[in-house]
Amino acid sequence: MNKLKKDYGHLCMLLGLAGFTIWYLNDAIRVAFTTPNLLLILPVSLAVLLLCIAELVISAYRGKLFEAVEDEPVKDILPIILLFAVYVLTLPWLGFDLGTILFVAIFLRMKNERNWFWVLGYSIGFGIAIALFFALMLPYPMPMTFLPID
Amino acid sequence: MIDFAASASALSMLFSSLTPWMIVVPGIIIGLVFGATPGLQISMAMAIFLPMTLYMDFMQAMLFLTAIFTGGSFGSGIPAILMNIPGTSSAIATAFDGYPMAKQGKHNQALGIALASSVFGVLVGYLILFMMIQPISLMVLKLGPSEMFMVILWGMTLIASLRGDHVLKGLIAGFVGLLIGTIGFNEIGLARGTMGSFYLFDGIPVIPAMMGMFAASELFRLANKQYIVDSKASRKVDLRKIATGFKMAFQSPLVMLRGCLMGVFVGAVPGVGSSVSNLLSYVETKRRDPDPDSYGKGNPKGIVASESANSTSEAGSMATLLALGIPGGGATAVMLAAFAMHNITGGPQFIREQTDIVYAIIFANFAQVFFLMILGLLFIPLLANIIKVPMRYLIPTVLVLAVMGSFGLTGNFVGPFTVLAFAIIGWLMRRYGYSVPAAVIGILLGAMAEKTLLHSYQISGGDLSYVLERPVTLAIMALLLLSLFGSKLLSLIRRPAKSTVNG
Repeated sequence: MNKLKKDYGHLCMLLGLAGFTIWYLNDAIRVAFTTPNLLLILPVSLAVLLLCIAELVISAYRGKLFEAVEDEPVKDILPIILLFAVYVLTLPWLGFDLGTILFVAIFLRMKNERNWFWVLGYSIGFGIAIALFFALMLPYPMPMTFLPID
Repeated sequence: MIDFAASASALSMLFSSLTPWMIVVPGIIIGLVFGATPGLQISMAMAIFLPMTLYMDFMQAMLFLTAIFTGGSFGSGIPAILMNIPGTSSAIATAFDGYPMAKQGKHNQALGIALASSVFGVLVGYLILFMMIQPISLMVLKLGPSEMFMVILWGMTLIASLRGDHVLKGLIAGFVGLLIGTIGFNEIGLARGTMGSFYLFDGIPVIPAMMGMFAASELFRLANKQYIVDSKASRKVDLRKIATGFKMAFQSPLVMLRGCLMGVFVGAVPGVGSSVSNLLSYVETKRRDPDPDSYGKGNPKGIVASESANSTSEAGSMATLLALGIPGGGATAVMLAAFAMHNITGGPQFIREQTDIVYAIIFANFAQVFFLMILGLLFIPLLANIIKVPMRYLIPTVLVLAVMGSFGLTGNFVGPFTVLAFAIIGWLMRRYGYSVPAAVIGILLGAMAEKTLLHSYQISGGDLSYVLERPVTLAIMALLLLSLFGSKLLSLIRRPAKSTVNG
């Protein structure tokens, strides 16, 4: 239903994992081409590359190279991932208090919470309470916009 | 092996006044709260409350800290079951079957099973400690890096066993996880895969990566659901069902006992401890079960195996601390600090000269088991209400908890950024059929495996015959091979015998 007709994600994922392995092995070899440095990395990297080739061949043979395993509503999930990414990446500037309040409020609106009292009440109440709790429990300062840092 | 005079003295020390018991209940509650809050570690709780122990005598201080330890070891399983976030690395395997059970509306039973297994685990662990503290400490002294590597290798076999329907993808995920686990400085001071960023010098923070892969990626997928459990009837918090779960745990006594034995001995290995013991116990239970495919889909035995092992590990790590003065992990390191604050040094001399105090600590933990049972039963209904929260409120709440918890673990934004990166990676992995648990185990064990392998290489000078001079290594290797091929070998032996009989 939600499956794309031709999903290139599987192929990209496989190539991405193989690519990461080649890059990491290359980086480790560049740092020092010695037994102690490559004792674990070299055999594991070779194993990953062989397995990736085997998976590529088998998936292509079975005609499953362009298929996702999970049938999920990608169009609904991607905006949430984007919102979460924006929340995390803007935390150093927005602070944990304001950032959390905005993230929770926008999320609730995105998921059709129509009662503004609940949207504002929960996002402000939860945002302040959780930021204060962690700020008090943790031994180091947390960036905040209006709550005290320490 | 048991000193009865010291036992009597320990009992009189404990029961001569009520004062030592006054701090046990708050200790367990602190442990439960810190263990159940993702990102807040048991060791963190113990470190925060360590200064309070300055005003207690040594006995009370130990009771307070072990109470936090006991509460925390059960507490970390709660978010693993209800939210798929293992509170600590020792509850990874609890999430494998606990969360699927919660999704099926069996959260009450799952929590009851976890509580029973934890309670039984702590009891058996300290019982073994009481009877075998000296043999265990002698065993730990014989453990070198090659033995530790074999224990880790045993844990790594889980990667292969978690393959599910996609064998190759499971192995790829596990091995890539191992590589990610080795990012950063290694033991010989070489930095790999850091892209020049000093934030990665210490490697990828494991618990934030785990939070991202397990919890955040799963929450993205549940974005369109109204509740974790669709049926309203299944969302009820029912003390009777919790009690049923409590009883269910004892329907698998062998699984529980195996978990306890693994927990106490693996828990005694410094640096490996409960992180590996819960995985080992899980993999062994799955391998020996007639229906291994039911694991990962909500098999109660999976929770029993994991929780009994991680709770027993507490006693194992206490054995190393008391008998050798070596902390096995963060929590026992804080206890070592409490030892120093009270001018006490752990080790053979401490056990010989202060046997009554050692026994009093052990006996107090027997009693803590009953406190844990009562407090656990009181807390579980409160915590199980999470299942009633609509997903539109639960998703942002858990994501925020993961982000703040990860900041708490790293002390900078590396934690939250790691959660984000691994949440996306985890979602992609699930979407294309790569095993997320295998990748997480790889990340957890990667650095440990490389360190112990490197130490073995340095000691042996690359000579493989060194392994032959290590009887414990050979014994663990034999156990590993037996667990891998034992059942197949047995069926091969039985088959010709049967055909001879038939013939």
